[in-house]
Amino acid sequence: MGSSQYVIFSLGEEEYGLNISYAQEIIRVPDQITKLPNMPAFIDGVFNLRGKVIPIIDLKKRFDFAQNERNADNRLLVIDLGNMLLGTIVDDVSEVLMVDDASIENLYSEMVSIGQNCIQGICNMGDRLILLLDALKLKEEVFQNN
Amino acid sequence: MINLSELNSCKILAETIADYIPGGIMFGYIDGDTIAWVKSSQQFNVELFTVGYQIGADTGTMQTIRENKTIIQDVPRSVYGMRLSIISIPVVNDSGNAVGAMAIVFPKIHPVAASFNDFAPILAELFHEGAFIFMTDLTQVAYRQASPKFDMPSIAIGTKITTDDLPYKVIQSKQPMEQEIDESKYGVPVYVTAYPLFEDEDVVATFGLFLPKVTATNLREMAINLENSLSGISAAIEELTSAASEIHTNEQSLNNSITEIIDISEQINDVSTFIKEIADETKMLGLNAAIEAARAGDAGRGFGVVAEEIRKLSDQSKSTVPQITELTHNITLKVDEASKKSHSSLSASQEQAAATEEITASIEEISAMSTELAKIAKQL
Repeated sequence: MGSSQYVIFSLGEEEYGLNISYAQEIIRVPDQITKLPNMPAFIDGVFNLRGKVIPIIDLKKRFDFAQNERNADNRLLVIDLGNMLLGTIVDDVSEVLMVDDASIENLYSEMVSIGQNCIQGICNMGDRLILLLDALKLKEEVFQNN
Repeated sequence: MINLSELNSCKILAETIADYIPGGIMFGYIDGDTIAWVKSSQQFNVELFTVGYQIGADTGTMQTIRENKTIIQDVPRSVYGMRLSIISIPVVNDSGNAVGAMAIVFPKIHPVAASFNDFAPILAELFHEGAFIFMTDLTQVAYRQASPKFDMPSIAIGTKITTDDLPYKVIQSKQPMEQEIDESKYGVPVYVTAYPLFEDEDVVATFGLFLPKVTATNLREMAINLENSLSGISAAIEELTSAASEIHTNEQSLNNSITEIIDISEQINDVSTFIKEIADETKMLGLNAAIEAARAGDAGRGFGVVAEEIRKLSDQSKSTVPQITELTHNITLKVDEASKKSHSSLSASQEQAAATEEITASIEEISAMSTELAKIAKQL
């Protein structure tokens, strides 16, 4: 049985995990985000990360979650998608967690397809349920409209 | 003049009327220079004048016999122990020569003295606290009248007048006088007054009375005590007033301290905000370090542990922030409470100060009354 590390962050009340191998870094939400014309609402714009221009999406907007005011706890989780970097605005990044593969439950495939969801599985930690994001599906989802 | 042959008729007349003369009377027949017959009233008698007594040559009676004429003579007290009026009428023989004299002796009494025993008991009763009424002649106490409520046992009939006594001074000055005497002389404080009694422009006696001054003296002492107590109360109230103003000052400085405490707890909040920022920053550092360690694979494993510890540490420091915030919030609440209490104690002390002022005003009134009372008591 293997295990892998996940970066745990929150969107509203829910906890999400992203395999650490896709995580590039965590920074504060930049003050200056350059908006782009004719973009879906969940794309906030682009910003300059040490010379590279990378797009920023708001995951809560994308997932149709209730919006709340951004505050000092909001973080930008920069995801490495191989050939590109993607900034995702999350509510808070709480920890890096070692997750046993055994504790991951896969969702029924029907449910996944209904939502066209990028949820890879649910990590059942007993008192907490962590939704594990599939980074590659997220990439597909995010850019499927493009 | 009386003829010797009429003498018996005169004696009968005298014996008949003697006891009907108010104030008393004494008759005597002097044969040559010796008393041969006397008749005295029950009320009045000169003991010296008895049958066989030889009268002095310098007396008015002897002068009557020598000069064969009626002589009326006032005899001072020094001669027979009491003042007398003596009328001497020559008694002549058939040839018209005086052989003796019929003497009629009246006690010479001042009208006040004459009626003393009638009016003094009534007068003595008229005084609320009783009175002691006296009359003196020029040397001693002649009459005394005590009342049931008040007596001067040391003053008896016959008590000599000394130069310290008021009657002596009255006799000397011929003026009415009054005097207050404290209890050291007679055992009780008394008020004494004396009036000169004149006869032919000469002072012959004094009349006076003693009044007890116990009530007035007590009243005066009480008034003085009252004044003293009141001034003590006034002093205590002044202390209260100054204490109230001290409370006021303390309250203000307490309020200043409270404001400072609130400022300081705000500063603590600033510091805790700063701690939170550092904790957030440290947490991000830890998370990024964990990501880097994961990328480094097995080589980064040790670094990953350090990164996790950094993150935990940052969580711990961050968790102190709400504690600090709660503590400073509690401080603010308690301080507010203290401020309210001190305000209420201030208003209570101000009420107290107002009440104190009212008391002071009342005390001043009472004080003025007690001064007035002392004045009245002094006049009693």
